[in-house]
Amino acid sequence: MSNLAILPILIPLLAGMWLAFIAKKLPLARGSAKLLSILNLAVAIYIFFHVQQNGTLILEMGAWKAPFGIIIVGDLLAVTLVLTTNLVAIAAAFFAPKSLSDKQEGFYFYAFFFWLISGVSGAFLTGDLFNLFVFFEVLLMASYALIVLGGGKAQLRESIKYLLLNLFSSMLFVTAIAFIYAVVGTVNMAQIAERVQEVEQQGILTTIAVLLFFVFATKAAVFPLYYWLPNSYSVPNPVVSALFGALLTKVGIYSILRVFTLIFTHEPGLTHNLFLWLAGLTMIFGVIGALSTHNVKLIVAYNIIPAVGFMLMGIGIFTETAISGTVYYLVHDMIIKGALFLLVGALAHLAGTSDLRKMGGMIHHYPFLGWMFFLASLVLAGIPPFSGFIGKLLLLQGGLAEEEVIIVIVTLVTSLLILFSMIRIFIGAFWGEKNEEITVNKRAADGYVWPIAGLLALSVTLGVGAEWFYPAIQSIAEYLMAPELYIDSVLKE
Amino acid sequence: MEIIMAILAGLLFTTGVYNLLQKQLLRIAIGTALISHGAHLFILAMGGLKGGAPPILVEGIEQYTDPLPQALILTSIVISFGVTSFLVVLAYRASEVNGTDNIEELRGNDYE
Amino acid sequence: MLFAVLLPFLASIFIPFLAKWKDRIHTGIFVTLVPLVIFIYFIQFLGTGFQPETRSYSWIPSLDMNMNFYLDGLSLLFVLLISGIGTLVAFYSIYYLHKSEQLGNFYVYFLIFMGSMLGVVLSDNVFVLYSFWEFTSLSSFLLIGYWNHRRGSRYGALKSMLITVFGGLSMLGALVFMSVITNTASIQQMITEKSIILNHEFFPLIMGLLLLGAFTKSAQFPFHIWLPDAMEAPTPVSAYLHSATMVKAGIYLVARNIPIFADSEWFFVIVSGFGIITLMWASYMAVRQTDLKGILAFSTISQLGMIMAMLGFGTKVAIFAAVFHILNHATFKGSLFMVAGIVDHETGSRDIRKLGGLMTFMPITATLAILATFSMAGFPLPFLNGFYSKEMFFDATLDLESTSNALAGFMQQALPYLAVFGSIFTFVYSMYFFFGTFRGKAQISELPKKPHEAPIGMLISPAVLVAGVIIIGLFPELINKPFISHAAASIYGGEIDKHIYFWHGINLPLIMSIAVLAFGTILVLTRTKWEAIYRFIPGPLSMNKVYDGSVKRAETYSERITKTYMNGSLGRYFRLILGAILIITFGFMAATTGFEFNMAYSAEITLAEILVAIMMAVAAVGTILAKNRVAAIIILGVVGYGLAILFVIYRAPDLALTQLIVETVTVALFLMVFNHLPQLKMRKQAWSTKALNLIISIGFGALMTLVAISAHSSKWFDSISSYFVENSYKLGGGDNIVNVILVDMRGLDTLFEIAVLGIAALGIYGMVKLRSNKEEDA
Repeated sequence: MSNLAILPILIPLLAGMWLAFIAKKLPLARGSAKLLSILNLAVAIYIFFHVQQNGTLILEMGAWKAPFGIIIVGDLLAVTLVLTTNLVAIAAAFFAPKSLSDKQEGFYFYAFFFWLISGVSGAFLTGDLFNLFVFFEVLLMASYALIVLGGGKAQLRESIKYLLLNLFSSMLFVTAIAFIYAVVGTVNMAQIAERVQEVEQQGILTTIAVLLFFVFATKAAVFPLYYWLPNSYSVPNPVVSALFGALLTKVGIYSILRVFTLIFTHEPGLTHNLFLWLAGLTMIFGVIGALSTHNVKLIVAYNIIPAVGFMLMGIGIFTETAISGTVYYLVHDMIIKGALFLLVGALAHLAGTSDLRKMGGMIHHYPFLGWMFFLASLVLAGIPPFSGFIGKLLLLQGGLAEEEVIIVIVTLVTSLLILFSMIRIFIGAFWGEKNEEITVNKRAADGYVWPIAGLLALSVTLGVGAEWFYPAIQSIAEYLMAPELYIDSVLKE
Repeated sequence: MEIIMAILAGLLFTTGVYNLLQKQLLRIAIGTALISHGAHLFILAMGGLKGGAPPILVEGIEQYTDPLPQALILTSIVISFGVTSFLVVLAYRASEVNGTDNIEELRGNDYE
Repeated sequence: MLFAVLLPFLASIFIPFLAKWKDRIHTGIFVTLVPLVIFIYFIQFLGTGFQPETRSYSWIPSLDMNMNFYLDGLSLLFVLLISGIGTLVAFYSIYYLHKSEQLGNFYVYFLIFMGSMLGVVLSDNVFVLYSFWEFTSLSSFLLIGYWNHRRGSRYGALKSMLITVFGGLSMLGALVFMSVITNTASIQQMITEKSIILNHEFFPLIMGLLLLGAFTKSAQFPFHIWLPDAMEAPTPVSAYLHSATMVKAGIYLVARNIPIFADSEWFFVIVSGFGIITLMWASYMAVRQTDLKGILAFSTISQLGMIMAMLGFGTKVAIFAAVFHILNHATFKGSLFMVAGIVDHETGSRDIRKLGGLMTFMPITATLAILATFSMAGFPLPFLNGFYSKEMFFDATLDLESTSNALAGFMQQALPYLAVFGSIFTFVYSMYFFFGTFRGKAQISELPKKPHEAPIGMLISPAVLVAGVIIIGLFPELINKPFISHAAASIYGGEIDKHIYFWHGINLPLIMSIAVLAFGTILVLTRTKWEAIYRFIPGPLSMNKVYDGSVKRAETYSERITKTYMNGSLGRYFRLILGAILIITFGFMAATTGFEFNMAYSAEITLAEILVAIMMAVAAVGTILAKNRVAAIIILGVVGYGLAILFVIYRAPDLALTQLIVETVTVALFLMVFNHLPQLKMRKQAWSTKALNLIISIGFGALMTLVAISAHSSKWFDSISSYFVENSYKLGGGDNIVNVILVDMRGLDTLFEIAVLGIAALGIYGMVKLRSNKEEDA
C-alpha cells in the first residue's frame, strides 16, 4: 500500500508529459487536463483517508531503506496539503480554458501546470532534504515557464527578477545542504533530526538553520525577502497567479514548518523568536503594501504577505495550539488565495482595467461576482465563521497563552487593514453608479463563476464545518510537536 | 585543503554576488553562474577531500572518496544548467522586448 | 431558542425568491412576520417569576465554539426590543420603501442583522458572540451602503465598518485573552472566575480592549463619528439599527461584563468618564445640526453616553435607571426616527431650515412628534417615560459609592453638574426638532413635494411606540417587576427592589430638572444669539477630520513607504535581502558562538590544487573587470573549467566530465545569445553604491566561508556514504558508486532533474516561438 504515496507526484508528472505531446490538439488537451486533475484529486482524497486511518505512509524509493535511499513520507500534514493543492488545481484546470488564449494553451500550459503540481506535491511528500531541493527546482522551473507564457513586456520584465531571486535562494539552499551534510553526514531529514538532537543543536548548527530559514523565507515571502512577489504575481494570467498565490509561497511556509518542528527545535529562544519578529514585520509591511496601490491584482498579491506573517507567527510561538493555527491557516490560505486571484482576474478582465479608480458599479452588471468577492474578502479578513477565523483564533489563543501580547495586537490591526484593503475594492469596483456604457459580457462572467464558487464553498465549509476538519489538524499539530514520531516512523528498524 | 577550497568558494560567491548587483543582464547572468560554481565547490569540499580512490569499485581497494556529494553535485549541475539556459534566453527576450539590457530600466509601475 | 436565532437567517434565504413577486406583494409583508413570531415566542418568558434559562447546541465543540444561549433578564430585554421594534420597523418599511427599490437586497440584510443581533444578546459563548457581533457590523455596512450610487452612502458605510470592525477585533483580543486565562469560553463561567481576570498582569489591557469594542459599537466619544454618517441608510434602518438595537450592543457588552469588571476602580473612571463626555459633546453637537436625522443621530449618541455613564456608576439606582432608559429610549427615539422618515417621505426634505409649520399639514405626525420629543427632553409630565429615567439619572449622579481613587473622587464631584449641562442641550435640541419642523412659518415653495399627512400604514408603527411612551409614563410599575427588575438584577448580580414614582417630593433631582427646564428654555428662546458659537466649535476639534486624515494618510503613507523599497529595482531588492541575511546570520553566529576552527578533518595542501585555485580566483575577479563581453564570457569559462580540473583532482571523474560538457555548452549559449545584446560596459554607478555592493559581496563570501569552515570543523558524525560503498555492487549491481546512487538509491532525484531540463527546454521553446500579440503587430 505504501506505493500510494508516490502517486500524487507521479500522476501529474506523467500527465504533464501526455499533455506536452497533445498540446496542439486543444479540445483533447482541455478534456484530458480536466479528467486528469479529477483523477489526481480522487487519488489525493483516497490517500488522505488512508493515512488518516492507517497512519503515516512511508515509501522507500527503489526499496533502499532509510536513510540511504530517498524516502517519501506521506504523513497527515503532507497528504492534507497535497489534497488541498489538488483542490485548487481542479479549479484552475476548469478556469484555464476561459481565461487563457488558445496560443497560450497550445504552448504547453497544461504540461507546465501538471509539472508544477507534481513539484509542489513532491515538496510536501519528500523526506529527504536534497530531494526537497530537486522538487523546489521542478516547481520553480514550471513556474518560470508559466509566468512568461505568451508574455509581453511586463511579464518578461518581472519574471526575470523573480527568476534571479529564486535562483539565488536555490543556490543558497544547495550550499546550506552541503553545510548540514558536513556536520551530520546525511541528507535524510529524519536522520538529520535525530543527529541534531543528539548534539543538541550546538555550535554552527543554529547558524546553518538560519541560512536554511532564509532560503525557505525567500520562497515563502517573509519580510524582508518578499520583494519579488507582488509584481511577479500580478502580471501573469489570472489562472497562473492563482496557482502561484495558492501554492508557491505555501511550499516555503511548509518547509519552514517542517524543518523547524522536526530538525532545528532546540534553540527556540533564538530561532523561533526571530520568526516572531519577522512575522510581525511581515504582517505590517505586507498590509501596508496592500494599501499602497489601486491596482486590484497587486492588492491581492500584497495580501499574500500578511497571511505568510500569520503562519510564521504560529511557528514562532511554537506551541501545539499555535502550530495547529498555522496548519489551519495554511489550508485556508491556499484555497482562498486561489479564489481571490481568480476573482480579481475575472474582475479586471470584465472591467477592462485593473486600476480601481477607473472601475465602478460592477455589481449592477455582475451581482454574483460581486457577492462572491464580498464573501471572499470576509473569508480573507478572518471574519467568523469562515475559515480564516478558525486559523486566526487558534493563533491568537496560542499567542495569548504565551503572553505574546505585541504580536497579537499586530495580528488584530493587520486583520482590520486587510479587510480595509479588500473592502476598498468592493466599494470602488462594485458599488457606485451603474455604468451604462460598459459592454456586459455575461457569458465570460458565467464561465468564470463556477470554479471560483467551488473554492469559496470550500472556504466556507472549512470555517462553518470546522468540527469536521479540526480534529485532523489538531492531530497534525500534536504530531509535529513530537518530532520523534516522524523520526521513528522513517528510521524504524 | 578544505579551508582553502572554502575560501575559494567564498570568493566565487563574492564575485558572483558583485556581478549580480550590476545593472547589465549579461553581468548578472555571469554572477549566477559563478555562484553556482561556488555552491558546487562547497558541496565537494564539505564531503571531505581526504584521499581515497575515485568511487568506482575496484577489487582490493578499501578507501574511496565520498560518493554521495558527487551524486548531489551532478544533479545540481544539471539543474543549474537548465535554469541558466532558461535565464539566458529570458534575459535575451526581456531585453529585446523592453529595448534595454539594463535591469534598472526594467522597473515598471503598478498600472500597465 | 436556536430556532429563534436562526429563523431570520433561514428566512433571508427565501427573500430573493419572494422578491421576484414584489410587484404583486411587497416583500416586507413576509419579513414583518419573522420578528413578530420571535417576539411572541419570547414574550412568554415575561413575568415576575422569571428565571434565567440556558440552552446548548453544539457546533464546533473541539474549539469550544458552541451555540450556548443564556437568557436572563438582560438578554430578554434586548431580545424583546430587537423583535418588537423589528416588527414595527419592518411594517413601517412596507410603506417607506417603494416596490421599485431592490427590496430583495434590503430585506436580506435586514434579516441577517436581526438574526445576528439576537445572537449577540443570547450567546454565552464568547466566540459565537463575536461572530454575531461582526455580522451586525457587516449587515450595518451593507444597509448603510444600500443606496450605494450615492457617494455619501459609500463613505458612511466604509466609515462605520472600519470603526466598528476595529472595535470588534479589539474586543476579540480581550475575549480570547479572558478565555485563555480562565480556560472557558462561557461568560457566566468567567464571572465565577473573575478573580483570575482581575488579578492578571494584563488586566488593564484586557479591559481596555473590551471597552474599545463597546465604545466603538455604541458610538462613544471619540468613536461616535460613524453614526451621523450612517444616517445615509434608509430611515427604517436608522430607526432600527442605529438607534434602537445595534448601537446598544456596546451597552449590552458593558452591562454583561459589569459583574467581572465592576470591582476595578478604573472601570468607573473610564466608562463613566467616556459616557458623560459623550453625553455632553453629542447633545451640544445635536443643536448644530440642520438635518433632522442628523439631530436624531447626535441625540442617540448622547443618550447612549448617558446610559454608558450610568453603567459605569455601578450602583443599584444607576443600573436600574440605565436599563429603564434603554427601554424608554427605544420607544421615543424609534418613533422620532419614523417621524423624520415620514417628513422626508411626504415633503422630500429633511433640512430643518426648509421645514416649518408642518403641523397644519400633518397633524397626526405632529402629535406623535410632540409626545416623543417632550419625553426625550425629560419634560416633567406624568405621562412621559423619558422624565422618569432622566430623573433617576440625576438621582444616580448624586448617589455614588465612596472611593479612595483621587480621579474617581473628583469625577464624582463634577458629575451632577456635567449631567445638568448635557441635559440642558438635550432639552434644547428636542425643542428645536419639534418646533423647527412643525411650528413656525411654513415654506411650502422651498420643498420638493407638497406636504400632506402620511398614509395610515406608515403612522401605525410610530403610534404604537408613542403609545408605549405614554403607557410606561402612566403605569411604570407595569413593566417594573416582570421586566426591568430582572434585567437590572442580572447586571447588578442581586435583587433590585425599586419603585418608580412620578413625585418624590421636592428634592435635589427635581431641582436639577427644573434648572434644566429653565436654562433650556432661555437657550431655545435666544437661539439666534448663540449661532456664532455653534458654528465656531468644534471646528478643527472635529473627530471627523482625524478619521478622514487617517484614512487618507493610511493610503498616502503606505504608498510612500512601499514605494521606497518596492521600486522595481532588482539591485535594490538584492541589496536589502543580502543585507538582512548578512546581519541576522552573523548575529546568530555570534550569539551561538557558532564559529569553530579545527584542522583535524582536513586533507593536506598540495601545490597543484593551490595553482588551480589561484587561477580560478583570478578568473573570477576577472569577470568583474572585463570590459568586453566575449572576454567576460570566456573568463567565466575558465572558472568552470578550473572547477572541472578540481573535480579531476578530487577523484570525481563523472563530475569532471559533466562539468566540461555543461560548461562548454553554457559558454556557447552565452556567446550566442549575448552577441545580440549591446557591448559590455560599466554602467555608471555612484561610488556609494559601488562601495555598498563591495561590502555586501565580500560580506556574503566571508559568511559562506566562515560557516563552511565551522561546519567542516564540526564533523560530529560519520557520513552515511560507507553504506553506498559497501552495497553499490552487492545490491545496486554497479561498480561506479556515483552512478548507482544516481540511478538507483537517489533515482527520484535524477528523474526529476531530467524533468527540470525538459520543462526548461519546452519553456525556452515557448518563449522563443510564442510572442504576445502586441509584439507581432509591431
